[in-house]
Amino acid sequence: MTNNASTKNVNEELLAAILDRLIPAIDDVPSAGNMGLTTEIVRLSGQQARFQGIFKNAMEIFESTNSEFVLLDSEAQVTAIRKFESNEPDLFSSLLTISYIVYYKDARVHKRIGWSGRTPQPEGNPMEPWDDSILETQREREPFWRKV
Amino acid sequence: MTIRNESSNETVDIVVIGAGASGGAATAWLAESGFKVKCLEQGYWQDSSKYASASEDYEFEMLTNWAPDPNVRQRAEDYPVNDSNSPVTPVMFNGVGGSTILWTAHTPRFHPSDFRVKTLDGVADDWPISYDELEEFYDLNDEVMGCSGINGDPANPPRSPRQMPPLPIGNDGKKLISGFEKLGWHWWPSDSYINSQRYGEGRDACNFCGHNHMGCYQRAKSSTDITYWPRALRSGATIETGARVRRIIIDDSGRATGADYIDSKGNEQHQKARAVIMAANGIGTPRLLLNSTSDSYPTGLANSSGLVGKNLMFHPFAMISGTFPEKMDTWQGPLGNIGLSQEFYETDKRRGFVRGYTYQFQRSLGPAWIANGGFRNPVPWGEGHHEELRKRLGSVMAMAVIGEDLPEEHNMVDLDPELTDSDGIPAPRLNYTLSKNSRDQLDHAIENAKKALKAAGAEDIFVDPMMRQSGWHLMGTARMGNDPEKSVVDKWGQSHDVDNLFVIDGSVFVTGAAVNPTPTIQALALRTADYIVEHRQDLKG
Repeated sequence: MTNNASTKNVNEELLAAILDRLIPAIDDVPSAGNMGLTTEIVRLSGQQARFQGIFKNAMEIFESTNSEFVLLDSEAQVTAIRKFESNEPDLFSSLLTISYIVYYKDARVHKRIGWSGRTPQPEGNPMEPWDDSILETQREREPFWRKV
Repeated sequence: MTIRNESSNETVDIVVIGAGASGGAATAWLAESGFKVKCLEQGYWQDSSKYASASEDYEFEMLTNWAPDPNVRQRAEDYPVNDSNSPVTPVMFNGVGGSTILWTAHTPRFHPSDFRVKTLDGVADDWPISYDELEEFYDLNDEVMGCSGINGDPANPPRSPRQMPPLPIGNDGKKLISGFEKLGWHWWPSDSYINSQRYGEGRDACNFCGHNHMGCYQRAKSSTDITYWPRALRSGATIETGARVRRIIIDDSGRATGADYIDSKGNEQHQKARAVIMAANGIGTPRLLLNSTSDSYPTGLANSSGLVGKNLMFHPFAMISGTFPEKMDTWQGPLGNIGLSQEFYETDKRRGFVRGYTYQFQRSLGPAWIANGGFRNPVPWGEGHHEELRKRLGSVMAMAVIGEDLPEEHNMVDLDPELTDSDGIPAPRLNYTLSKNSRDQLDHAIENAKKALKAAGAEDIFVDPMMRQSGWHLMGTARMGNDPEKSVVDKWGQSHDVDNLFVIDGSVFVTGAAVNPTPTIQALALRTADYIVEHRQDLKG
């Protein structure tokens, strides 16, 4: 399932520039392209061959139609991304999906949004136990299932 | 490598194809009753300590290697499904435990009326059995799988006590429920095959991680690999994993003699058996029957009615979500096991459609899941991203609509003329369109869901009128009935055409009701196994 070799050629400078437009800076967290996330995006995309192929294809097509992207001003970059999103919705979706996943794995982001960052297991979460009193009203209702 | 090997296989009483919800249940019952049973499963055992919910990459894994859609997951043991002519994609898992590995374990029962839709509403067909005939098997299955829930639901008939109290409702659940209370509508805590306390062999209580739909690390969610299979193996049943069945073999007299399969090393094998039980789900079973052509059965095995693969039913899901102003830690607790509403379950013809629907209440997960949309569109990128993420995280609750989808012959599984799995076996192809009755149900449910969400205080409501990746419930493709011209198997799951061939998965459903089907699938599997024990001792060697 894992094969990072075929994403070695991903243009990480271009990817960082796209990330800057996708997820802007906020508070003390820089824009996503300035957070050093591209290596992790390339690594993670290689964890499944199918996804990796789609992601790599997305980057290649974006680059082929936007060769000067990194030189554009931010407004023009947004326009270029919107055009790609419109023309290649599935490819753009893969790019956005992995960008969000990697951004929201970052400890700096967790700190800002107040997210623990723990994996779901093994610790799990606390919950108040079942309280039967919540059914008080429903228990007053007459049975209404259809008898046959 | 294609070495056909028969010598290592002795004849077993029964070969079961598929080790999931139904295959596990039937194998355990038959083995405990002294039958020599072997199961062929194309997937493998799962190690719960390696489930992705404990991985740093769990949010990526959820969308890729642990995705419920086999066309997305694309593991070696999966087979492709051509779903280009279906608005609903199939969702399943191949492995010991089958789709119970990834299910939400939401386990309501059919209603008595669900078995009598022709008599009551003049649509589809009645089942050849009644709720009362199935009830004892529902109870037996609950005991093995372990049900958390509580008696007293006015929308359902009285029944035996559950094994455990309900799972906690949570602050998020209470919020959603408040809408139903204000409207005077029914709701009830979910029946779930998830431990609310320790139950079963080595199975802990749920620790509310929120991600058991990727396999339950805690072994609190019931799946047949940790419930039925240990019992089956202790009783002498055997299972071969990585075994992909190519076809069922028939002798000159028209009786099943076993199955040809490809083992995990790529060798062609044949398993001899006195009877065959199909438990490969509502897509896998018709696929295999249609692939099992012979001179005696040129259109596929057990297909004299022409109905193998026909009458495919899903439960097309609409999903209606709302964003609440409160922060409610919505990632705490099982994703889909808060409660349900069956206010609109039974037919009321004033609504403009027959039959009805269930609402299944849903939580939402963490920031990456929320950013990527969850049950709605992704959080917009660019300016405004952070504000929208802030609004949604911990505040989105949803209601899934499970509507009763009636059988129609043009909705079907057949064989794709070109697509194959990695062993060259023809893959299934879906042809499915949503009926007007089902669409009208969903539209009615959407409007009422909006009312409930607003009554609960939701501010931003989003409607997905029909989720594409929602084909969990695969039903109807080898339906049961008394008339061999109008059904594939009889009321015991025994083929009308081949008296030692049985079907026990969702394929046998006559209609689909408006609830998650697995407890009914398992109850039917146990009932078929019981029939074999009581009436088919001739199948014992």
